[in-house]
Amino acid sequence: MADRIAFNMIQVLVVMAFAPLASGVLSRLKELVQSKRGPSIFQPYRDLWKLFHKDEIVSEDSSWIFLFTPYMIFITPIFVTLLIPVLTNYPLFFAFMGDMIGGGFVLALGGFFATLAAIDTANPYGPMGASRTRMVGFLAEPVFMIVFFTVSFVAGSTIPYIVQEKWVTPVANFFMPSHVLLMLAFLMLILAEGGRIPVDNPTGHFELAMIDESKSLEYSGRGFALVKWGGFMKMFVLMSIFLNVLVTPWGLAAEVSAGDILLSIPQVLLKIFIFLLLLVVIESSLSKLRLFRISEFLGAAFIICVAAMIAQVFTY
Amino acid sequence: MSVVLLLLLPVIAAALVLLPFRKLWAPAVTIASSLVILVLAARIAWQASQGESVTSVLGTGFFKWINVDSLSALILLLIAFVSTTAAIYSAGYMAHGDYSSWRLRIYYVNFNAFVFSMLAIPVLSEPTLVWIAVALTTLTSALIVSFENTRDALEAAWKYVVLSLMGAGMALFGFLLLFAAFEASGSTAAFTWNDLGNAAPGMPPVLLMTAFLFILIGLGTKTGLVPMHAWLPDAHSQAPSPVCALLSGIETSVILYVIMRLFPIMRAVPGSHAATWAIVLGLISVGTAAFLLLQVNDYKRMFAFSTVEHMGIILTAIGLGASNANYGALEQVVSHSVTKSFCFFAAGAVLLAVETRQIASVRGLIRRSPAAGAALVFGGLAIAGAPPLAVFLSEFSIMKAGLAEGSYAVIGLLSFFILIAFFGVMMQINRMVFSAGNTESAGVASGVSSRPGKKFHLPFSCRLALAISGAPVILLGFYIPPPMQDLLAHATAILTK
Amino acid sequence: MNSTNQLLDNLNALAAALFLLTAFGMVAMRQARGVLNLFIAQSLLLSASALFLGLRFHSDHLYGVALVDIIIKPVIIPWLLRRTAPAEIYTRREVNQALNIPTALLAALALAILAYFLAQPILGAVAPQFRNPNVPIGIAGLLLGAFTITVRREAVPLLVGLLAMENGAFLAGIAIARDLPLIVELAVASDGLIVVFIMGVLTRAVYRQIGSTAVGELASLKEAPETAGEERTA
Repeated sequence: MADRIAFNMIQVLVVMAFAPLASGVLSRLKELVQSKRGPSIFQPYRDLWKLFHKDEIVSEDSSWIFLFTPYMIFITPIFVTLLIPVLTNYPLFFAFMGDMIGGGFVLALGGFFATLAAIDTANPYGPMGASRTRMVGFLAEPVFMIVFFTVSFVAGSTIPYIVQEKWVTPVANFFMPSHVLLMLAFLMLILAEGGRIPVDNPTGHFELAMIDESKSLEYSGRGFALVKWGGFMKMFVLMSIFLNVLVTPWGLAAEVSAGDILLSIPQVLLKIFIFLLLLVVIESSLSKLRLFRISEFLGAAFIICVAAMIAQVFTY
Repeated sequence: MSVVLLLLLPVIAAALVLLPFRKLWAPAVTIASSLVILVLAARIAWQASQGESVTSVLGTGFFKWINVDSLSALILLLIAFVSTTAAIYSAGYMAHGDYSSWRLRIYYVNFNAFVFSMLAIPVLSEPTLVWIAVALTTLTSALIVSFENTRDALEAAWKYVVLSLMGAGMALFGFLLLFAAFEASGSTAAFTWNDLGNAAPGMPPVLLMTAFLFILIGLGTKTGLVPMHAWLPDAHSQAPSPVCALLSGIETSVILYVIMRLFPIMRAVPGSHAATWAIVLGLISVGTAAFLLLQVNDYKRMFAFSTVEHMGIILTAIGLGASNANYGALEQVVSHSVTKSFCFFAAGAVLLAVETRQIASVRGLIRRSPAAGAALVFGGLAIAGAPPLAVFLSEFSIMKAGLAEGSYAVIGLLSFFILIAFFGVMMQINRMVFSAGNTESAGVASGVSSRPGKKFHLPFSCRLALAISGAPVILLGFYIPPPMQDLLAHATAILTK
Repeated sequence: MNSTNQLLDNLNALAAALFLLTAFGMVAMRQARGVLNLFIAQSLLLSASALFLGLRFHSDHLYGVALVDIIIKPVIIPWLLRRTAPAEIYTRREVNQALNIPTALLAALALAILAYFLAQPILGAVAPQFRNPNVPIGIAGLLLGAFTITVRREAVPLLVGLLAMENGAFLAGIAIARDLPLIVELAVASDGLIVVFIMGVLTRAVYRQIGSTAVGELASLKEAPETAGEERTA
């Protein structure tokens, strides 16, 4: 019991510690692809460090929501981390609290507060970004739902630990049509939710074209650090769900022992690194879609999901 | 052997036509080959009327799929007859337009290829190969439907190809299902119409019924049955008239022949609703076509709708299912083929004379071109079913058979629709041919320059084709020659089995 | 052995599912060239499915189908189309479909579900070894091909819709009618070639006539009362 609680904490610490690193690696890789040197992979840590030591300026006209939101954005990915398999393929202490749908809701809560906070300050760019995020969110939501329904339909459960088992026992199940299509759809969702390139340009500095970034324009100092860190962790959590539950449920700790857990950390990081390589390929070969084409991107994800569902119905 | 020769001839003719000789070469080759085909088909039909089944002597490989029984022989004879008259008619008709000799050669290549693909349908006995032949009829005729290269002709050809091939896609799945059903019955015989009939009792009824529906809808598109008929009036009116005669007169019937082949198989399945489907679809076709006939404004479209009507009548008769009804249906196939091809020849003659397709623009035709006018009246009477012509007799036998069977409602509706169609056709033709006013003024009004005041003389070959195809229209109205009767009886036996 | 079979079954199902996806794509894809690429992908998936089924059931005939398919559809057909049809067809984008894309996709989903219900009795009637997702997905491919034809107006999507119907019929066919004579498969495939040739020639003629390859815009032939006809020309 005690060690399960401890492992759960280790899991959280891993996510908190390595999420900025993943972001740093990603931007470094992208710069390398563009034949630039790029910042150090530890730059996000330095940014966070710097921001934590700066003064925070809060608009007089803003309400408590503006102050509260950074904590919300920071805490929700941590909360989800408690529920999902990041390092282990067996449920840890807090995993009983929610399934994949619950995790989705918790993540959505952070997004909800971010939207409110963006409107709160009355900065003209905030509400614009917020409404765009909502548009993407509204379109992504049904896809998320169908992904979860299909997963539960195939695996008979929405508990991630049961689902990951299903795809690889036997190994032939990996090639189940519903599985492959779900992977594809979920990848598209990660791109949309994480504000990655065909949907949003995370490195863009042009306020009018921003979707995700413009929500945090008003933040500074510690608040901004928390928002950024939360964003890194959200991406890390989404990647963990994608890799550990849907794509490669290998390399996770199978036994309740500290050694196994520690051994699984480099394996998980390796998987994430490989995924980052894929992300770099996607981000470097595609261009950002026009705003009104995003609905088609997510529509395609929706169709793929439904095709996964249909294929599942057709097959068995 | 004669069967293989029959199939080879149009192919050879299509190749020979391409040789760059004088302008008369292409029609001459086509007519010659059609005549030989007619003789061969007549011989095969004669053999079949004696109750023999004609197969290829090269009974191996591809040739083992060749088999002509009396039903196919009947269709074969009709194809040969209509394609011969159409070939003769083409000689004069096509010479009338200002086409380059290269375009004319393309026309005759396609003509012969089209005849080949139609001949292949009754000759082949393997259903999937028949499907290919059906698809080929569309493809070989597409370029002659669009031959005039006007915007309308292209539209018609495009619709024709797309909708027919869409139907063909549906039918393909039906035929594959048919094969699956055949395999499921455990039969080890070859997959042919005949063995299909023998294996039918052992087939899973669900498969057979699904296959039937897919084929009925798919090939029904190409036959012009009503919900799927949208392309037919376009293609059958925009093509050059001899091609219309082939399309309307025989191609639709040939496709319907493939559907007919399914009915003996379906009858072996308990609780199949094949007959009901046929009657319903048939009556819908007849009814819709009859009412549309009242408001057409293009006389070639009018004959096209009349084809839809006749296909409906034949399908209804097949659906009635009794031996007599089947006999009537086949009789109707024969009379429709000869009459409808005559009608389109007549329509082509009118088109040559007045250069417009609009009914409203043609008045007093009988004064401008007595031959064309008389032919149109005769064709209209014949196709609408006036006694004592061929269509009347066959429709009469269908109704007699239906009444004997007790299907009063079906026959009642059928005769009501036929009556409306008769009225529609005759009203339009009467206005064109006899009404006051004359075509010259109408021609000028519609912007078409025709040679005013001068009587129009139909080319000789057109007159000849009209005469040849008109003969059986009259003859079959009161006298069916004994060999023909035997052939029809044998073919009916196959359908009723 | 059993696990190999399961793997092959799953791979076949995967090919079929991706096949379904390409069929959806044909309904929605705007660029004419994209639709053609989807058709190529679909044909490759069809031959992959034939290959997997051939391995699964040790059927030489299915290898033949896979071979014929992979030669003719992804290679010869695009080549032939390039030779016969005007180059303009590749550059076309179709903005005005008969239905807008989301609606068309929803209708397509409904058709896929209809296909499922159509396939149920068929699957119930055939022997167990014929029961696989090819049948419902094949029917869905058939219906979606027909649907593509009804909603599209450009030459290439229409042509691809026709060929996709054939693909759909064959995807189901390789599952249930496995021992169909190879000559039939060959003949059907070459029939597809003639389809492409004829449609290519027709498209060229249409292009010369109206200066566009939006053949679906051709819609002047219809049954109209005589007065309406005069108004149209006036």
